[in-house]
Order: sequence, then structure tokens, then C-alpha cells
Amino acid sequence: MPSNPLHANSSRLGGCTLTGALSVTSHVRDTSTIIHGPKGCAHHNASLLHAIWLENDRAAMPSLISTALGESDVIFGGEDALRVAIRHAADTGISAIFVLSTCIADTIGDDTGAVCAEKYGIPVIPVPTAGFLGGTFQDGVNNALIALAGIPEPRPGKGGINLIGEMNLEYEVRENAAEVARLLSLLGLNVNLHFVHDITFGQIGCLGRARLNILRSPALVPVGEFLRDRFGTPYIPSFPHGLSGTLTFLKTVAGECGIDGSAAVASEMACQDAMTAAFSGLQHFPIVLDRSHAGEDDMQAATELAARLGLPVRGEGQGLCLPVGTAIGTGGTRRMLHRWRRALHA
Amino acid sequence: MPECDNPLWPCAMTGAASCLAGFEGLTVVIHGSSGCYYYPTTLLHAPLEGTFILEQEVIFGAEDRLREVVARLSDSGKRIAVITTCVPAILGEDIRAMLEEHEVLLVDSPGFSGDIEAGYSRALSMLAPTVDPTTPGVNIDGVCLFDPFHAGNLLEAQRLCARASVPVGTVFSKDRLGHAYHAAPYTIGTNGDFASGIGEPVGGILGFKQIRATFTRIDEVIEGAGSGPVLEELDMQEERVIQACDKFLHRYDPPTAGIFAGCSYARFAADTLERYLDAEICCIGSRNVTDDAPVQMTVTPGLSDVRNLIQTHQPDLVIGSSFERSVSGNAAFVGIIPPLRGKVRLYPAPLAGINGILSFIEQVLNACIDKNI
Repeated sequence: MPSNPLHANSSRLGGCTLTGALSVTSHVRDTSTIIHGPKGCAHHNASLLHAIWLENDRAAMPSLISTALGESDVIFGGEDALRVAIRHAADTGISAIFVLSTCIADTIGDDTGAVCAEKYGIPVIPVPTAGFLGGTFQDGVNNALIALAGIPEPRPGKGGINLIGEMNLEYEVRENAAEVARLLSLLGLNVNLHFVHDITFGQIGCLGRARLNILRSPALVPVGEFLRDRFGTPYIPSFPHGLSGTLTFLKTVAGECGIDGSAAVASEMACQDAMTAAFSGLQHFPIVLDRSHAGEDDMQAATELAARLGLPVRGEGQGLCLPVGTAIGTGGTRRMLHRWRRALHA
Repeated sequence: MPECDNPLWPCAMTGAASCLAGFEGLTVVIHGSSGCYYYPTTLLHAPLEGTFILEQEVIFGAEDRLREVVARLSDSGKRIAVITTCVPAILGEDIRAMLEEHEVLLVDSPGFSGDIEAGYSRALSMLAPTVDPTTPGVNIDGVCLFDPFHAGNLLEAQRLCARASVPVGTVFSKDRLGHAYHAAPYTIGTNGDFASGIGEPVGGILGFKQIRATFTRIDEVIEGAGSGPVLEELDMQEERVIQACDKFLHRYDPPTAGIFAGCSYARFAADTLERYLDAEICCIGSRNVTDDAPVQMTVTPGLSDVRNLIQTHQPDLVIGSSFERSVSGNAAFVGIIPPLRGKVRLYPAPLAGINGILSFIEQVLNACIDKNI
């Protein structure tokens, strides 16, 4: 988020619905996403996704198609351009097409849903987005996940665990999912589906088979509710943050799945003790926790960690400024500790 | 196909921002949503302001919000420029009338109106720079914040001018705002795709041939100029390039190059590779259209256009952006246009000037040797 002094209303900083939805649909591998709007909207997002993917060691480009609305389309309407784009995309051998509108398409009154409802030979799934007219970045994420969750039919099953709404623009997205998978493995559970991170369109069919959904963050509760209503799957509202949060997570998952988690909790607690002992040399440095890139969950985790290590937390300018990052699980907390120790050196 | 897959070039709004944000003394406001604001902000690394309009302001009018933002900024003593994005541009509000109490520069440059060059050019024309015949030296243009080489190009142009005892007039577009209205009568270019049209052009500095012609011309038109040191340096460095390329050709075949860039950089890369490496230029994909583009240049607005050219011609050296690199397979790659992702870049490397050519040839040779071409 920019530190722009003008914002009287924090919802102004919510970002673009389109980007949020694209962070989801671009992770369904054998599909294309059509962005119904000017080329610039698609370029901005293609460039962003490209950068994020490269940082995550993924050299491919997302499959985005722009209807490339120009001045004449703005005057006369862009539905024909959308229809043509869908037809061309449908002929390329992909499994499905997602159609995302933009603020300009909605402002000129194009009926994106009606065009998508025509026959093209493959599923064409409109996702309600309209740039900022559709809400915020998070609304885009939620809308896309709900649109995709509406595709598979309910199937009974008590299989593994779904990870819902991984933050695909996050630098450490894979490490966070791997940490949750590790914690689940302590309980003898496995991941059923990454909904949605690097999956095929066909894999969405097994969404309803899980025994539990774990949401990446509480902002995804509307998605969790939708999945519970559609498939009867209960959910936990967040990945675990910090030391005690991780132990609570293990207990909650065990409880939801009706299994005994005491051994897993004991094992993880021992792991955490060994980890904090290894960083005991940090003790007694007065510190300031830098909350500029931290959510409340991460701040709580950092505060707990500082107390555990005996680090006195001071106000701004009264100690060494330590970064507060995403402390998912014990593994994420360990990475934050390494960054703290690095901060002591440089 | 009217549609475009993975469009490769930014919109006119970004172009306008990349021009205006380079001027100190000008506060640039993106009049639109936060989504439209974030892209130029992250791309240009320049301080931009935004109105961050919301849905209700689209329905009931964004006038109050725009006034609020402009009024707050007007205390800074800087001139304010407002760039309209797509939705405000079609709402039909009389923005100029809204802001007439402030001396605001309004640039109507919505994304649907064109690509980055169009927006850059529109913003510069709205700024309406003027030549001051009493200002000595030459202006430097083509310095666009969007170009990853703009800082290096500017330093190199300033260095060459200093060596030729030529004062630098105004830099378009990275200068104090007041200097835009006292530009020198002559201008040298670092990137023709972002030419200013201000002052009489005396030539560019992309490539040895251009530099030689430009500084020869500078000696003719600028009183007191002495380009001898520049031309001497040029001769010496060109000889080094020739030797390095000759050594390469002792051992390797020349590369078959596919070049993807704006017209100006593409032409530079093609000329340089042909002249010094005897490279075969198998395809040139241009991001933009110019009247004097070489015949073999194809406009490539989307990634599939690039992919098709690469699959058809199979270059073993690809010059372009990291978009091109993503579809280049095992070909050697050198990046000259944005985005240049997946690589740490801290040093302000030039592409223009003598050091720009050295840097470019160095990268090409190393990339080709690494790939055993």
C-alpha cells in the first residue's frame, strides 16, 4: 500500500477487483482468462502476474486475453468484441474460459453475463468483477473463488483438507502452503486441493470431497460459508500465525476431524522450544516492531515471539526496528527470526 | 483478431504519468481508482497522488472528491497536473471547469485512447514547453521514467556533453518544471520513441554512427563546443568493440537475432548487431508503429505475436523484455525494454551513448558465449 497522505477513507486503497480475480483464475492452468476492457488493464495485470510468477520460479506467462476496447467500442458498446474473443479462445484447445469485466465495460453497460451464456462449446464462466466498481481486490478474490466453487457438483467424501484462497501474489505463497501441509501431516492428514493455486480445471471437481476447508485468512469467510452451504464442508477461518497460534491450529483441526492431536501438539511444541532456544542470543535488545507490512495476526505473533525471547518492545525510535512478516506456522516464525537476526547485523 | 493476448505495452494513462512525474515542481494526480494508480506508481518509482474514486462517486459524480484532493495539494506550492483514467474520462464531467480556481494542468489520457507513447506525447504537448533562445547548449530528450535505461542514458548524455564542453539545457522529461519553459534551441535524443519535439533536433546518441554524426553537428551549431574528446573516445571504444566481436567470431558463428523493442531501440539493436557481429536479424517485433519503421519490422502488441515470430524464425539470440524471455526457450537473451523481471538491477546502466553500446555488446557477447552459440 502506498503511504499517500490523502486517504480519508481506507476503502479507497482496496485495489482492483480485476487483479484479485485474476490472481485466482490465472492459477487454473488449462484455461484462459478474458479481460473485457482496454488493453492497458490486461497489460498492468499481465506484468504484475509475470513478475510474481518469476519470483516464484515460474517462467511461464499467464494466459490473459484482452478484448482491447478502444474509443469506438466505448461509444458503440463492446459486446461484439467480447463475443469474438470468446470464440477465438474457445478454439485453442483449452478446458474453460473465465471472463472478467472491467470498470470501463460496466460503465458503458455491456451485458457480460449474457454474452457468456451463449454457446461456445466449452464452459465460459463470468466472474463478477468491474474494477473498482465491483469492490476491492479482496472482493475480486472472493468472487472468483465462489464462481469456481459453483462449477463442481456436490460429491460426498471425507478425504483430505482443502487449502482455500492461498494468496497467489504473496512472495512466500508456496512456503506457507507447505508449512500448513507439514502441520496437517503431523495429524496424519493430507491436502486434497489447493483451491486455487496451480491446479487444472478438472481438479476443481474434487473440491467437495474434503472433510475440512482451511481458509488463508478471515477475509475469505464468505467463501468458506459458500462452500459449507454447497458441500457441507466445515472451515477454519485462517492459516496459523505464530507459536501458540500454530498449536491452537493443530488442536482445532484435530477436533474438527475427530482425531487425537495430542501427540502432534507435543511434537510441535518441542520443535518450537528447540527453535527459540537457538535464537536465545537475541535476548535483551530493545526492539521496535515494524508494522508497515504486517497484518494484525502477524503483529500478535511477533509480539508473542518477542516476549518468548525476552526482547523488550519499545515505541518508535527507541529500539532496533525489526521486520514483521508473514509468520505462518512454526516455519514462518523461524524465517521471521532469521530476518530479526539479520537486522542486528545490517 | 481484434483481441490481444497478454498485451505487452502500457496504456496512455501510464504514458502521461511517466512524462509528468519526471518534472520536479509538478504534483501528478491520477484521477481514477486505486487499481489504476498502483500500476504507474510501482512501475515508475515516482511520487504520484491519486483521487482513489469509489463506486458512489462514479454514480453521483467525482467532482467533490477531485476538488478535495486538489485543494489539499494546492498548498504545496507546486503546480498540479491531473491525469484522467478511463472511467472519469467517459463520465462527461467538465473537469476543467471544476478546477478552474486552481491552475491545474489537465491531461485527458484514458487507457483506451492509446499506448504509452501516445500518453507521453499528449502530456508533453499539454505541458507546452517553450524554447528560450538565450539558453545555451542542448536539451536531452527521450528520458522517460518508464524506460529502465533512462537514468543511465541521462548520465551518459550529460557526460558526453560535458566532454564536448556543451551545457545541458532541459531534460525531457526529468528536470525542474521551470526549465521546461526555458529549453535550449537544440536537442539531442536518447530514445526516439519518446522524442519531445522541442528545439531543433541535432541527432541521437544511440549507436556509434549516430553519436559521431550528432557531435559533428553539435560542433557546427553550438558556439564553443569542442567534440574532439568525444570523437576520440568514440574511436577508441569502437575499436575495442570491433576487437571483442572479432574474437567472438573466431570461435562462434554470428547469432541469428530476434529483436523486440520500441522502434528506436529495435533499430539500434539491429544496426549494432549487424555492423559489429555480422548477425542475421531474422525478425524485429516492434511495440509501436512509426512512419519510418524498417520494412522487416512487425508490430507485436501481444505475447502470441511474439511467440509466433520466435517459433517461425527460431532466433538463437533474443533481444527484448522478460516477456520475450518467457517464450524464448534456450535462446540467449538480453533485456533492453521493460519489464525486465527476474533480475536484480541496481546500477543505472545506459543503452545510449558510448557506454550504452559497450554495455549492450558486452551483454550480447556474454549471453551468446554462455549459450555456446
